[in-house]
Amino acid sequence: MDKQLQEDWLDARLREEMPYIDDEGFTARVVQKLPAARPRSFRAAILIGLTVVASVIAYLLSDGGRFLVVEAYRLMSMPLVFVSVIAIVLSVAITGIAAAAAFSTVRQRH
Amino acid sequence: MPLNDADLVARVLVDDDHHAFAELVRNHQSAVRGLLRQLTRNDLALADDLAQETFLRVYKNLRTFRGEAKFSTWLYRIAYNCFREDARKRKELVGIDEAQLEAEHDPQTVDPALRHDLMQALQLLPLHERSAIVLCCQNGLSHQEAAGVLEIPLGTVKTNVLRGREKLKKILAAWAPA
Repeated sequence: MDKQLQEDWLDARLREEMPYIDDEGFTARVVQKLPAARPRSFRAAILIGLTVVASVIAYLLSDGGRFLVVEAYRLMSMPLVFVSVIAIVLSVAITGIAAAAAFSTVRQRH
Repeated sequence: MPLNDADLVARVLVDDDHHAFAELVRNHQSAVRGLLRQLTRNDLALADDLAQETFLRVYKNLRTFRGEAKFSTWLYRIAYNCFREDARKRKELVGIDEAQLEAEHDPQTVDPALRHDLMQALQLLPLHERSAIVLCCQNGLSHQEAAGVLEIPLGTVKTNVLRGREKLKKILAAWAPA
């Protein structure tokens, strides 16, 4: 008997003997046993909560936000050129950070 | 468009999306339950319990899946570990030896249907050969992938597949084409 023919025959029978097993509620039983899913808004709620708490702390520690008024007066008394330079530098820095984050996301997806 | 395993895994990890996990289970339940049925010598209830345990472990440990191997290979490894742990508890890990194989195979008492004979023949193989045959010949894993699942050297997998095949051919000689 041809050995290769016999092996091919056996392999084919073995593959055929792996019939599809119907789910018959198996998936539902597994999902039922999973721990309760975190609500989707849970993470957002934590972030907003932390932001609010941090803002309140900053407000209280800064004497009712008085430093904002002081800094606003200082900014108004600066020469216009100096204010423009600060604005441009900040814009470039923020754009750079955003671009780096975007590139990083694209690279991860690929 | 149906999502692939990597997308479904990402959804489970990021959003804890149970629907995505259910899709993963649906996609792989047949293969995992089939593998475990073979390993447990067709004990359907035990195989399904182990399959359920497998998927619960997958959910719990999904963060450790790094995507270096195929998801299905990682899944089979967990299924095999579940089986092995259970077998250790039941002390059934010892395979059937050659003498027992010869003694149990009596062509007179075996059902004439080929399918039944093949199932019988598979159940008679020692565990290490049966596992290798089921993973490589039935589930289509490469020898390398099967070695990863079974945590044994590549050469051992090849030997086990070869020996298992020889025994199956011997048992099923009456069915083989002339």
